[in-house]
Amino acid sequence: MARLEINAVSKAFGAARPADGLSLAVEPGEIVAVFGPSGSGKTVLLRMIAGMFEPDDGDILVGGRSVVGAPPERRGIGMAFQNFALFPHMTARDNIASGLRASGSEVASRVAAISKLLKIEHVLGHAPRELSNGQKQRTALARALIGNPDVLLLDDPLRNVDAKLRYEMRLELPNLLRRGTAAVLYVTQDYREAMAIADRLAVLIDGRFAQVATPADIYAQPASVAIARLFGDPTINLAEVSPVAEHGMLSAMVAGARMRLGAADGAASPGSCWLGVRPEDLAVSSASGDGAIPARILAITPMHEKAVLLLRLADGTEWLAALPPDAPQGAADDSVFVRFASDAAMLFDRATGLRIGPTHRLKAA
Amino acid sequence: MDMLELRGIDKVYRSRGNAPVHAVRALDMAVEKGEIVALLGSSGCGKTSTLRMIAGFEDVSAGSIALGGRRIHELPPARRKVAMAFEGYSLYPPLTVRENIAFALKSAQLPRAEVTRRVDEIARLVEIEDILDSYPRAISGGQQQRVSLARALVRDADLYLLDEPMGQLEPQLRAVLRGRIKSLLAERGMTAIFVTHDQTEASALADRIAVMEGGVLQQFASEKELKGRPANLFVASFIGEPPMNLLDAGVTRSDGGFRLSVGTDMAFDVNGAGLDSEAASALAGTPQVRIGIRPQKIAVGTGDVRVKVVSNQWLGDQSHVAGDCNGRMLIAVTPGRVAARPGDIVPFALEPRHLHIFGNDGTCIRHAEVS
Amino acid sequence: MEHSSLAGRIFRGVALTLILIFFMFPIVWIFLMSFQTNEQILRIPPRILFEPTFANYEALISGQLRTAAGNLQISFMRNLFNSVVLSSAAVLLALLLGVPAAYAFARFKFRLGESIAFTLLSFRFAPPLLVLLPLSLYYQELGLNDTYFGIVWVYQLIALPLILWIVRGYFEDISPDIEHAYRLAGHSWREAFTRIAVPLAGPGIAAAGLLSFIFCWNNFVFALILASADKQPVTVGALAFVTASGIQYGQIAAAIVLSVTPTLLLALYAQRYLVEGLSLGAVKG
Repeated sequence: MARLEINAVSKAFGAARPADGLSLAVEPGEIVAVFGPSGSGKTVLLRMIAGMFEPDDGDILVGGRSVVGAPPERRGIGMAFQNFALFPHMTARDNIASGLRASGSEVASRVAAISKLLKIEHVLGHAPRELSNGQKQRTALARALIGNPDVLLLDDPLRNVDAKLRYEMRLELPNLLRRGTAAVLYVTQDYREAMAIADRLAVLIDGRFAQVATPADIYAQPASVAIARLFGDPTINLAEVSPVAEHGMLSAMVAGARMRLGAADGAASPGSCWLGVRPEDLAVSSASGDGAIPARILAITPMHEKAVLLLRLADGTEWLAALPPDAPQGAADDSVFVRFASDAAMLFDRATGLRIGPTHRLKAA
Repeated sequence: MDMLELRGIDKVYRSRGNAPVHAVRALDMAVEKGEIVALLGSSGCGKTSTLRMIAGFEDVSAGSIALGGRRIHELPPARRKVAMAFEGYSLYPPLTVRENIAFALKSAQLPRAEVTRRVDEIARLVEIEDILDSYPRAISGGQQQRVSLARALVRDADLYLLDEPMGQLEPQLRAVLRGRIKSLLAERGMTAIFVTHDQTEASALADRIAVMEGGVLQQFASEKELKGRPANLFVASFIGEPPMNLLDAGVTRSDGGFRLSVGTDMAFDVNGAGLDSEAASALAGTPQVRIGIRPQKIAVGTGDVRVKVVSNQWLGDQSHVAGDCNGRMLIAVTPGRVAARPGDIVPFALEPRHLHIFGNDGTCIRHAEVS
Repeated sequence: MEHSSLAGRIFRGVALTLILIFFMFPIVWIFLMSFQTNEQILRIPPRILFEPTFANYEALISGQLRTAAGNLQISFMRNLFNSVVLSSAAVLLALLLGVPAAYAFARFKFRLGESIAFTLLSFRFAPPLLVLLPLSLYYQELGLNDTYFGIVWVYQLIALPLILWIVRGYFEDISPDIEHAYRLAGHSWREAFTRIAVPLAGPGIAAAGLLSFIFCWNNFVFALILASADKQPVTVGALAFVTASGIQYGQIAAAIVLSVTPTLLLALYAQRYLVEGLSLGAVKG
């Protein structure tokens, strides 16, 4: 039982600052996903915790004890790598057993137990080159798990396995990881994977945690426009607007139509904003009327059991709408009208990118 | 009219000391003019070999390829009138992005103003206007992929071949580019074939999808057809995210139809009136079938199948609920949030009309009714 | 393209045969010469068919060189022994020093690291004659002249840079993550080096060792200047065959066959290790 704590950790490589005052605590048995665009510093953070290089500043504690300066083998850390990093000259069994310092019979029984759990008993005698990518990845996971580490670091472990297996592992992994009491840090570039697996998400942008919260909170209440753009496929639609407050309600012109944006937070108008609306919150119909943006359908592309419409609004902005497959969709080149409910609208400050509005509930790291 | 016609294509790779690899078997396929076709399959299914044979980088071991009425399988690649975007981008390193895209147009001796106009137009479409004067080594992988795509699409060709065209793109851009490229291809009536392992990409871009496995074309149809009327068990389990739930069921006669029982927990009555004679006789002749139901067709919170929740994952726009029913895993996808927690018992509703039924040899006996 | 015409295949076969004959001819010819007397060798035109004699080998092994001018003492077997001792010792020493150094250059960035590595390589650029004069003066001062140790040491100029640069490349090709994974599994860096890095670079180490062995074996000029008769390797010893009464072609051929055999056997033995999968497939890609 050990807590992982990262306190104001910074690291610079020349002009690049992949870690810029990172702080995060992961409880024993908790899974925190570190999610961010490529190059945001996710891998650097993991490697500092693992001891492959040391932070310039700040402290890393495992179970209350600082591990900065300790060699990797004394940190109580298990890690699974994106490229598997199996030992090519050893069998899967020896790969898994390499994580144990124990007597022969105990090694055998623990390898048997973990490989049963991960369903790789039948390939234990194989060399890594004889394993499929899925089996390699399970072997690497078994190697990381077998020593019951205090901290488990998973560096995008599902990146190199095929879609079907990735889906299976997405269901299986959270249960597997919660069997132990390790504090788990899970790095991924796939927001769905992050939301599916993690108890909490830490969104890493340019070496800083932009938001740390539960998956549902981050999706519904992203702290900034940059975070909003990272979650959701298709990505959130944006438009530049200047909302005005009237009778306690905000509204703004979007491509020539006046749209209601929910209750105003105080009397003042928020100034120039980004309006964000998720594609699944858009409704498309052929009926004109109040609060409907005129648009033309450019293309219809099915995606994730939905129909994704590429729309060109009257002012030339391109938006995407994701509709249920059984909803009437129209056809390419049709003229349509786009609506959204006022509570689906998110407003972000144009200058800072930060979210504003009545549901504003920013839980910064 | 068929723009491209593949007839009886075989591809066998022989290398000394190894058994010959039969990469493509007896492939027949016809692509209409203006159609966008995806070759979809996992790695090693023969899709890339097929694309490379059409492009002319591989010989056919047997069979013929005709493009626009011309037999092309004996022509060198340059004379086939095909344009290709490579998975590894293959940009010319000493040329700028603009020169890379313009290369084929200049070779075709188009007037300079025309070349500039077309390059600018395609660059705007794939959002690379700001890097036109950069060199390939100075731009990111995603940008290189867009340049490679632009270089292929800017050409005049009878057929456009795209190998994993969007694999490296940032997700934020991908959905928009899919829409734009689809609309460009449709507007100009361009015929295109692209290879992908990602079914989201295939269904987003393609008019028809050719599902390949083990070198054999499994089914060539629209996305809707593949999902609603999969030709066999492979297509049924391969297409759809998450994959179709599959269960073994015993078949017994019941009044006016058949009863399909899964263990002792689930039973489905299939009305004989809804079956064609072939399906009825197939069911009558087998004690055991595989039944499949799409996760999106399982309703959560109603119904009589009680499952123990294994995981409940909210992805922002949909919930994926995995439930255990006496050792059988069922996955349901619903648009809303579900309150269940792991360990809870919740009801799942599986309706007989949503069942696909497959024989033991994998062939389809009955499709689910179209909702 | 895998479908080539019959004519193409025949042409390829003929071309390959010609090239093979071109390269193999000298070796085959020398092998045949080693079983002939000087007179048979010098016959014009030469003949393929002859009565083989083992006289050349006997002379080499017994150390008695019979020429028209009389019997000469030669120490060919001693030379052969010297070659084996000197080359093996030099390669062994170079491996002990070079493999850890190559690992350091591959894995760590340190001040002057690249310069040191390049300086070591630059030893290979200078013609040996350039360093010989100062070297022999130093050796006289240090008392290293005409010692095995002295020659082994100077052979490091040949072996060490070769091993360092070849093995470094192999270490760089091993994903560092593999070693990181081993360390996180609770092993020290020494264990990671000996149990992971060295076995994985094994084929490279074998190749570099073999290559530097051949280079050492073939060295002539260092040993010529720095060693006296009883420390000389075969390359220098072969000079003895140029006698007052002419060049002993038969014995030279036999000497070549004997001196090539060890390296040839070594190369044949090591070949399967050299070819053996460098692509072991532990890392995706």
